[in-house]
Amino acid sequence: MSSSVLQRIAGGDSSAVRDCIEQYGALVWSLARRLSRTHADAEDATQEIFLDIWRSAGRFDPAQGSDQVFIAMIARRRLIDRLRKTSAEPPMDPVEMLDQVAASDGGGNGETLSEADHAMRALAELRPEQRQVLELGLLHGLSQSEIAARLDMPLGSVKSFMRRGLIKVRDFMNVQPSAVPARSP
Amino acid sequence: MTDLDPKPQADDALVDLLIQQIAWELSPAERKQLAVLSDAVTPGLQRGLECAAGAVVLAAARADAAEPLPETLRARIDRDAAAYFALPKVIQLDSYRPAAAAIPSYSAWWVAAACLVLAAVGWLRPPPSAPPVALVSAPPPTSMQQRAALLSGPATLTLPLGGTKDPAGSGVSGDVVWDPVAQRGFIRFVGLAPNDARRQQYQVWIFDAERDERYPVDGGVFDIPAGQAEVLVPIQSRVPVHTAKLFAITLEKAGGVVVSARERIVALAQAT
Repeated sequence: MSSSVLQRIAGGDSSAVRDCIEQYGALVWSLARRLSRTHADAEDATQEIFLDIWRSAGRFDPAQGSDQVFIAMIARRRLIDRLRKTSAEPPMDPVEMLDQVAASDGGGNGETLSEADHAMRALAELRPEQRQVLELGLLHGLSQSEIAARLDMPLGSVKSFMRRGLIKVRDFMNVQPSAVPARSP
Repeated sequence: MTDLDPKPQADDALVDLLIQQIAWELSPAERKQLAVLSDAVTPGLQRGLECAAGAVVLAAARADAAEPLPETLRARIDRDAAAYFALPKVIQLDSYRPAAAAIPSYSAWWVAAACLVLAAVGWLRPPPSAPPVALVSAPPPTSMQQRAALLSGPATLTLPLGGTKDPAGSGVSGDVVWDPVAQRGFIRFVGLAPNDARRQQYQVWIFDAERDERYPVDGGVFDIPAGQAEVLVPIQSRVPVHTAKLFAITLEKAGGVVVSARERIVALAQAT
């Protein structure tokens, strides 16, 4: 089985760094543009995210998930931390982002579906409230209390929407749990 | 309202804590709660939730029309990568080797490749994106030699380093050498506890007298391998440090943080 690009970076393969930038540069750039207030911020954030990726490559375990997901979560963490540091809100209306994702064509053009395409289709299966809570928490970095205040929703409901939404995405992506049976919404 | 649970079930509480850990941070009370429930945490459960969270983030990125990295940004990232991989992360002083063997494996690849080019065409020309390779037979200076060179700088700070009451910092000593002109430095640690890099890493913070002290400059993350009594860590600052007044080392989650909560400060070096 060939090594992932992150494993190759951790192993000192010099070409893997270029490959990582080629394969995931657009992904990181896309997230940075979505979650930064200005173009310059997005550029700085992207630069920092790749440094985080070099630092973290040694921690990547392919048994835990794909390169793509690992890098997406690293990017998310850095972008949310940057937003929190400046107390800034991402530029896009929080109601719109994942609703747009859910409404867009999840790669149904006859090509093999990518992991991201599957994820888009998973989001389309969620209730609007579940998408909304997931977006505010995962993409905007709001705490569950902050989400509850923002949406004028009981904290218990926020936790329930997030839990059930994430489990539904997990089940749709065919990642099976070893404990805790999924609950239907 | 059907989504309101009158009282969360034990499994719901566990999933909620795992989501909290994935999406944000756990408070000390939540960490204790998770420890109590830890027997019910299976690798598959945690992995599934992490992958689902990553999938949500991926989907948000995928929905955008793919736009390549701007060329100037790509060039900055390439330069950062070359600098990052050229610099050894931790030099183990008590297992110090001669210069040739101290070259990190990443830059050693380029040296080997360059030698093949020399043999083929009769002159030395490094691959385009490689760090510069000297055209003389002397090996590049070791980190100890680089540190020694900084010591002679007219404005170089040399500060004693001490541990704190934190368990990881107990008994720690060493020093910080920082050259504000070169914007480079090294921290020497004696007795810093090894870390599990999958969970936690050490991070260097530089408090600049000319910056808001709420946001010290990130000096890089590093790991301490087991069994090493004395190590040398290069300071990697991406932004200029004007007047360094304090160096702090914290223990953070793996990968480091943008802003430290300063819950685990393990060592300090203060300018007088």
